Amino acid sequence: MSKQKIPLRVLKSLRGLLLPAVLLGLWEYTSHRDAAHAFAFAPLEQVYGALRELLAGGDLWVNLLGSLQRASTGLLTGAVAGIAIGLLMAFSRIALTLINPLYQGIRQVPLLGLTPLISLWLGNGEPSKLFIIALAAFYPMVLNTYEGLRQVDLRYREVGQAYGFGRVLLFRRVLLPAALPSLLTGLQQAVPFAWLAAIGGELIFNAGAGLGNLMMSAELGARMDVIVVCAISITLLGIGMSQLLSLASSRLLRWQHIR
Amino acid sequence: MHTGFIRQLLLACVLLLAFPSVLFAAAEPQEIRIAVVAMGAGGKQVFVGTPQLVSQDPVLKAELDKRHIKLTWVPVATSAVASEVNEDFASHNIDFAYYGDLPSVILNASGISTRLVAPGNLGSNVYLVVPPNSTAHSIQDLKGKRIALNRGRPWEVTFGKLLAANGLSFSDFKVVNLNPQAGASALAAGSVDAFFTLSDAYTLSDKGVGKIIWSTKQAPNDWKMRAELWGSQDFVSKYPDLTQLLVTADIRAVHWISQQQNRDAYLQDQARFGYPESVIRRDADNENVSWKDYWSPLYSPAIGSHYQAVVQHARSTGLIRNNVDVNNLILPQFVAAGVKDLGLGTYWN
Amino acid sequence: MSKSAVIGWHWPAITFNPRYTGWLASWISPLALLLAWVLVCRAQWFPEQILVSPQDVADSARDLWSSGDLQDALRVSLYRLALGFSLGSLLGIAAGALLAHSETARIYFSPTFNALRQVPTLALTPLFILIFGIGETLKIVIILKATFFPVAIATREGVRSIPRQYLEVGEAYCLSSWQQFRRIIFPATVPAVLTGIRIALGRSWMILVAVELLAADSGIGQIMEMGRQMLRIDQVMVGVFLTGLIGFSLDRSLRLLERWLLRWRHQG
Repeated sequence: MSKQKIPLRVLKSLRGLLLPAVLLGLWEYTSHRDAAHAFAFAPLEQVYGALRELLAGGDLWVNLLGSLQRASTGLLTGAVAGIAIGLLMAFSRIALTLINPLYQGIRQVPLLGLTPLISLWLGNGEPSKLFIIALAAFYPMVLNTYEGLRQVDLRYREVGQAYGFGRVLLFRRVLLPAALPSLLTGLQQAVPFAWLAAIGGELIFNAGAGLGNLMMSAELGARMDVIVVCAISITLLGIGMSQLLSLASSRLLRWQHIR
Repeated sequence: MHTGFIRQLLLACVLLLAFPSVLFAAAEPQEIRIAVVAMGAGGKQVFVGTPQLVSQDPVLKAELDKRHIKLTWVPVATSAVASEVNEDFASHNIDFAYYGDLPSVILNASGISTRLVAPGNLGSNVYLVVPPNSTAHSIQDLKGKRIALNRGRPWEVTFGKLLAANGLSFSDFKVVNLNPQAGASALAAGSVDAFFTLSDAYTLSDKGVGKIIWSTKQAPNDWKMRAELWGSQDFVSKYPDLTQLLVTADIRAVHWISQQQNRDAYLQDQARFGYPESVIRRDADNENVSWKDYWSPLYSPAIGSHYQAVVQHARSTGLIRNNVDVNNLILPQFVAAGVKDLGLGTYWN
Repeated sequence: MSKSAVIGWHWPAITFNPRYTGWLASWISPLALLLAWVLVCRAQWFPEQILVSPQDVADSARDLWSSGDLQDALRVSLYRLALGFSLGSLLGIAAGALLAHSETARIYFSPTFNALRQVPTLALTPLFILIFGIGETLKIVIILKATFFPVAIATREGVRSIPRQYLEVGEAYCLSSWQQFRRIIFPATVPAVLTGIRIALGRSWMILVAVELLAADSGIGQIMEMGRQMLRIDQVMVGVFLTGLIGFSLDRSLRLLERWLLRWRHQG
């Protein structure tokens, strides 16, 4: 009986892949319609060929690692800065009144629109790219840190104060753990933003090692197959990072739940 | 005691930081920064052509090493060369740049002064591409249609000349400002009726998504878009000897390229940049000047009038508001001295 | 007790909906920044090409307004936003509700949904242009994509997190499906959906301007891009301010709407 169940379970779990398979089939069909469509939709066999080519030449790894490294550095910087400012805004009314309006205003300006200014003030190299990534991560981290600290249940604080906790202890034992879910939510938002900003930064600023740069040189030679490989890599890495973070946060938060 | 120590430490840090700058505020700069269009292929900066040869020039390197000066190449992305180089000049991040005619005019019109110290080659070809099934045979047939053209880039001037020669103007078309990659996509998608661009036109035609109906190969030579070695006026006037070293190295490079036996090697090398070699060859073939003359760095009145046309175009299309005196822009003395130094006085005449 | 006074914890009662004094106070830092900007320009610490003066930016704005370019650009951009955003939100709500409600839908669509969500739209602009051309369709599709996913996810979470008890109450009262929806499901999900919509609006505005920067013949992004190519940083700044202002206003309006709807909910 169990021998019959396994294929069924396997089949069931594959149901989710039905739609992607259909889409892929559609893609393949479109790419063979005519030259213009072949230009736009690189046939899947070409994409596969491009993948092998990139792997063999080591290009894919070099650029992938370059992007990852850049994204991580920027993310770290932005997250730390975001948490710091969020903390400041939560604990000081003055800081809140001063920083909040500026934050709300600047947050709405698209990062791409700031390119000329960043280019003028920071140049066109790594510092600019890192700045954009840090900025992209900064926004959600500030918001979530602030909200997380602000919403800590009054009762928890009172309990802490009843126990005679000093400032630091109150923070460590009560506020931080209570705000941790929000912090992690902020991080979960910050990671995809930072990743997209990393790729975007590579596209608009100067050359370096990165998937965005690989896409650009592919565009020069109209290598749509390489572009598709890059797009898939970017998407997969994005998904991977989000999943990793999800796992990590449920792990971390499990410690908090005493229910 | 506690604060005393900190104060001392701070003082020490300040002195430590100030000292080197005092030392080097002296005669010469520590580095010469040149902007160049580069591709990040596999994590390394790749640039080709004259800049690449200059970067490998042993004589230049020896001279600079003697003076403890580093030659730094500042890469800029192909998709936004004009803006990035201009921004770099404005923020004094670079001293020289290999880039095009229109952006340098725009830069000078905005108040930042640069000087043309070494002319580049005769120019790059520009092409008018239409979708493969289009019935248009010339620019006249495209009147009223959508044309993808990257504004602020040098070949916009060529476009202006083409229009003027046909009695047309910008307002006769719907000009869509797209960067080259977006423009290529738009043409392939049939979303624009024509695309005005550089040799990537061949790639489009090879892939069957475009048809070239006109190019500067069938036009006067000064219609081609020019790129040269520009230097910030500050640097050039303060350090003419360093500028001379750079220009002489540039002439050496150009001399090497211009020799017929090196033509193949040069064209093959260009392919490292990302464009297929066949595209580069077709772009370089069938010119009405010899390979040698194409690379002549000598100043000629044609260059001056080319820039007059650029300034005029920029003013009439509203790209710049102030006038630019072309005579101030061009400094022919460096090339003259360099050619004499290298004994190439009769090579290009 | 005395300890808290010493430590001085202040959980601000005001956050994004300040009372009047708070509202006035929120102007302090922007004005201070403006003042600093004017002073630094006067002192000429930086060349004018790097730090354009507020005066230049104002002049540029005036020129663009009087030539009609600014109004045209705004009209076009806002039209695209409105269309793409409304379509995206409606589809997103429908999709989110479907995903929350139906296990089957979840099984078949979730993997594709999650994958498509992470596709880097802006990086793939050339590909999108190839598929959709460079007309209005392109921009609307991109805004639609940017709106769809946040709204769908927010709706899905909102519907999923309706406490079981609410629905049981509805069943106990023998409410019809429609009544269940109107009285229980809808009010319970409105906050989550509205938050999702608000976030989506901010993101779509950003992405719209970005697309206009890269590939458009009109719109506020295009004005910024032309400004950059002409090295007219004052024109770029006009765009920066406008996009920030519009994004800010849109966000505020939605917050007010949220508050108004929630007030209604409390009364109900």
